[in-house]
Amino acid sequence: MKTIKLQDNSLKLVKDVLKDLKASPDLGIYKCVQCGMCTSVCPGASQTEYDPRDMIRRVLEDDETVIDDEDIWNCFSCYTCNSICPSGNNASEINQILRQMSIDKGEGIQKIVSFAAYGDSFMELGVGSIPNTFFDVMVKDVGPEYMNLKLNIEDIRADLGLGSYILPEEAINEVESILDNSGFKNRLKRIKRCKK
Amino acid sequence: MKFIPDKDILLFKSCLVNVEYPGIESSTSYIFDRIDVEYYIDERQSCCTGLGHYYDLFDQLSTTALAARNFQIAAETGHKNIAVMCATCYAILKKSAKILNQNEEARNKVNKILDDSNLEKMEYNTNDMDPVKNIFHVAEIFFNKRDKISSLVKVDLSGFRVATHHACHYCKVHYNDTIEGVRDPNLIDSLAAAVGVETIGWYDHKRVTCGAGFRQRFTNKEVSLAITAEKLQVLKENEVEILLHMCPNCQMQFDRYQPYIEKKLETEFNIFHLNISQFIALALGADPYKVLGIQTHTVPIEPLLKRLKQQFNIEDQKENVKVEKSLKN
Repeated sequence: MKTIKLQDNSLKLVKDVLKDLKASPDLGIYKCVQCGMCTSVCPGASQTEYDPRDMIRRVLEDDETVIDDEDIWNCFSCYTCNSICPSGNNASEINQILRQMSIDKGEGIQKIVSFAAYGDSFMELGVGSIPNTFFDVMVKDVGPEYMNLKLNIEDIRADLGLGSYILPEEAINEVESILDNSGFKNRLKRIKRCKK
Repeated sequence: MKFIPDKDILLFKSCLVNVEYPGIESSTSYIFDRIDVEYYIDERQSCCTGLGHYYDLFDQLSTTALAARNFQIAAETGHKNIAVMCATCYAILKKSAKILNQNEEARNKVNKILDDSNLEKMEYNTNDMDPVKNIFHVAEIFFNKRDKISSLVKVDLSGFRVATHHACHYCKVHYNDTIEGVRDPNLIDSLAAAVGVETIGWYDHKRVTCGAGFRQRFTNKEVSLAITAEKLQVLKENEVEILLHMCPNCQMQFDRYQPYIEKKLETEFNIFHLNISQFIALALGADPYKVLGIQTHTVPIEPLLKRLKQQFNIEDQKENVKVEKSLKN
C-alpha cells in the first residue's frame, strides 16, 4: 500500500503563525475547509489578485513563498472574512502575521517605510495621525479647506469646548520610554534605514 | 445581552476624532451629560496605536504595552469602563486586554517593559481589564440609554432618508461581543429610531467596508476608492440623503473623498455624512458649530440645516458665518 509520510516539519509555517503574539488562542486555521466564503466577501479579492482562501491553503501546505507574495498587501483588514467564516478561522489576522514575517525578513519593510512618519509623530505627541508623507496628497484630493482645518484645529477644538489633544510632557515621556523598552524605537530606526 | 454601564466611564480619546471630526467628542459629551452617564476624559491617555497597527508599522507587543498603561489610567481614576468613539480603538483595546489576560508570557514581557520604564505602579495583573465587561463603543452606551434619549428629542429629523454604515472593527473583529447584529448590523439603525428616524434598514453592501483599508487609501488609492464608490452608488440608488457613521476613519473615507469620487465618476451623490453622536446631538437641539463641529466636514452640512424647518437662532447664524469665513481664509 502506498502511504504518504508527513515530514516532521511539514507544518512549520502554520505552527509559526499560531505561535505569533497576534494569533488568537481560538484561531481555527486547522479547521479551514477551503469553502471560499472568505474570498467571496473580500473587498481585496474583488479588486485585486489577493485570495484569502488560497493564502490559508498555502500556509497549511507550508508554502513559505506566501510570505513574499505581493498580493498579501491588498488585504483591507476589514475582518469580513473573520465574521463570516464557518470554521472559526480568521484570514485577516493570519494576513497580518504573514506581513510581519515579511517585515522581519526585510522584504516587507519597503511596503511600510512610507508610514514611518506615523511612528515619529506618535513618539513626539503621544498620539497618531495621518502620516505627513501623505498629507500633500490629501490636500490635493480633498481641497485647500483641508489644510485650513489642520492649521486651525486647536482653535476649532477650543470653540467646541475641547482642550489640546497633545499629551502633557510627562505622559509623552512615559509613552516614549515604553516604546523604547518595547523595541519599537529600534524597529522604527530599522524601517527608516530602508528609505531610498 | 451583555451588561452596559452608565458610570465609571473613561471616554477614550481617538486620534482621528481629535483632528478630523472633534465634533464627535463634543457631541458625545453633550449627550452623555443629558442622559446621566458619568464619565471622565484623561489628558494622559495615549492613542491606541490603531492606524500604526494596521499600517503594520507597530508590533503587537508595543501596542499591548501602551494599552496596559491606558488601562491603568482608567483603573487608577476609578473609571475602569472604557467607552471609545472609534471602532479601531475598540478592536485594538479588546485584543490587548485578551492578550494581557490570557498570555502569561506576553503579560510578563509587558510588565518588564513597564518596570524598565519606571512605571512599576502601572503593572498589569490578570483580569484588571475585562474585554467584554469593561470595553464598549459609545454607541452601545447610547443604546442602553435609548429611552432616555427618546425623551429628550427636540428636533424632528424624520424627513430625511437615512442609512447606516456600521464600522467593520466594531462588528466583525470581536463579533461575539457585538450587539444588534453582525452580518445584518442594526445598532445605529436602532439609535436613529430612538430619535424618531426610521432608516432604510438593510441595503445591498450594508456590511461592506468603507474602503479605507488603512494602507490601501494611501498606497492603493484607486482600489480603495473603487470600494467606497460602489457603496456610494448603492446608497444613491436607494436615494439616501444621510449616511450615519460610528467610526471617524469611515467618516473620513466617505466625507473627505465623496467630492473627489463625484468628480472622477462625473456623478453626484449629495449624501451628508454624520457620526451617530452628531446626529443624536442634533436631534437633541445641539448647536451645529459649537457642539456638532460641522465646520470640519468636507461635504457641507449647511444644506441639511437649511432644510430643517427648525430654528437655529439668528445670533448663532451670525456666529456661523464668522466661523465659515475664518475657515475659508
